[in-house]
Amino acid sequence: MSKTVIEVRDLFKVYEGAVPVKAVNGVSLKITQGEFTALKGPSGCGKTTLLNMLGGLDYPTSGSILVGGKDITSLGENELIDFRLRNIGFVFQAYNLIPVLSATENVSFIMLLQNRPKEEREERARQLLQSVGLAGKEDKRPGQLSGGQQQRVAVARALASKPQFVLADEPTANLDSESTANLLDIMLKLNKEEGMTFVFATHDDRVINRARRVVAISDGKVVSDHNK
Amino acid sequence: MLKLAWRNIWRNKGRSAISIAAVMFCVIFAVVLRSFQIGVWENMTHEIVANNFGYLQLHQKGFWADQTLDNSLELASINEQMFLDHPEVKGLIPRIESFSLVSTGEGTKGTLVMGIDPKKELPGLQLDQFLMEGSTFAPDDKSVVVAEGLAKFFNLSVGDTLLFIGQGYHAASAYGRYPVVGIARMRNPELNKQLVLMPFKEAQFMYNCVGRATTLVVDLEEGADYKRVDQELLAAIDSSAIELLSWEQLFPEIIQTIEADMAGGQIFISILYVIISFVLLGTVIMMVAERQREFGILVSIGMRKSKLAVVTVVENLILTMGGALLGMAIVKPVQFYFKYNPIDLSGQMREAVEQFNFEPKLHTTTSFMINVNHGLIIFLIGSLVSLYAVWKIMTLNPVKSMRS
Repeated sequence: MSKTVIEVRDLFKVYEGAVPVKAVNGVSLKITQGEFTALKGPSGCGKTTLLNMLGGLDYPTSGSILVGGKDITSLGENELIDFRLRNIGFVFQAYNLIPVLSATENVSFIMLLQNRPKEEREERARQLLQSVGLAGKEDKRPGQLSGGQQQRVAVARALASKPQFVLADEPTANLDSESTANLLDIMLKLNKEEGMTFVFATHDDRVINRARRVVAISDGKVVSDHNK
Repeated sequence: MLKLAWRNIWRNKGRSAISIAAVMFCVIFAVVLRSFQIGVWENMTHEIVANNFGYLQLHQKGFWADQTLDNSLELASINEQMFLDHPEVKGLIPRIESFSLVSTGEGTKGTLVMGIDPKKELPGLQLDQFLMEGSTFAPDDKSVVVAEGLAKFFNLSVGDTLLFIGQGYHAASAYGRYPVVGIARMRNPELNKQLVLMPFKEAQFMYNCVGRATTLVVDLEEGADYKRVDQELLAAIDSSAIELLSWEQLFPEIIQTIEADMAGGQIFISILYVIISFVLLGTVIMMVAERQREFGILVSIGMRKSKLAVVTVVENLILTMGGALLGMAIVKPVQFYFKYNPIDLSGQMREAVEQFNFEPKLHTTTSFMINVNHGLIIFLIGSLVSLYAVWKIMTLNPVKSMRS
């Protein structure tokens, strides 16, 4: 039986205002190691809010998120930053690479924050870029790469810290079909070969169709959860 | 981290150039302003002190407090060689300064009489430069040069004779009759109305104080450090019998005037610093707003806010230091230019300045300390305003920042 990587228990996120909005409304969910899961739903359904809380980027109003048995909602800000650094890889819709750094440096930056030796950083960055099909582009800066290539650098960066899982928020939203197919091929390969857990927040059918588990979210609630 | 900071500086060259230029112009403005203020006083002080009174004067003990001939100095009691042995002392210039009633037969007036040796004197009393009419006198002559205003009062011309009567050393009568050999325009209006200059020896004779002088000006080499010379000479002289006074002790009112003006200047420059602070803060606000998203990314992938704040502060310090150093260097030729090509004052300002016997010109100082001080102050302001970036980073929400 696969080990549980993330366990969400009765999670709520309420945005206070004249009319309080329940962005996440009592979600409970388990993600096990090696899953390739898509959280699907229309814009504003709460999937990105849920993903942000899974990644420790946002605090829930109530409920708990256990990662490897540890409740990350009880961590302080610096502890949470360190936790993200060591356990979670992120892939964002807008790639979010550091524009002044080359592809290699973007990938190795996280390892630099982890105080890993230079040789290890450079070797792993080179391997990761090769594994996402960017051999020969190591010294290019984000501005010199296409959108698909930048997103592949972002995937390599997400994996650089050897995280427990990767969270991807609409990773294909800015990509054409070919780049999307390439990116998903790479992610599925990493999922199969290295057992890396991927969780996507998406409303892109190209991603949903290739996910092995699809969790549908509507109005902040899980309305369906299917394994293919 | 330094690499990231350095690359960030080069990434947005326009923003970096604006930040550097803002600091640079602030430094230039502050330094120019202060250089003129200090330069004007430096020049005025030099003109009055170095050209007329000397940086150091030697008197009989108590003379400066009670300026009478009875407190004059016996020249034989002074070891002149001891002064001349000092490498920064050129010589001692003796003077007799006293008062006398002067008459032409048709009118009488109280005058200030000064016995000098024009050949030995400081530039301000080298009479040939100020003569309007006639000539100056030689050390052994028995004649006088009269200030222009006094000459007008008596309606004097060269060749006329003046009668003197006054009180000499130890209450002796001091009288004499001397031909006017020259009329000089003294730049100080008060001196111009009442000064009569005569050979030092003749003044000694008239005031019955042969072998004595009221003042010995310590003539210093160009560029001498008068404060150090003062200290060294003070250690060598008999302070119970003679007094060695620096120009600050001789003219405390000049010091007070300078201090009052400097205090006014400090207020002005403080206002300038407030404006500069807001200019620099503006560039930091611009930088933070522009990079909000990037900050959000870095924190979300695991960079501690404190580390990010350090990188941002380092960037800001590099830019501020660059601007400050550039400003300090660029302003230097400006300071030199106006030091040697001062701005001429005109109109009422010129008249006001001339009344105080000052040259009506705005000089700058070339002291590099002004550049260093103001460069440092603006660098500190730049460092302080970068705390705004620290505050924004420490309070940023990565999710919101990435959406910006």
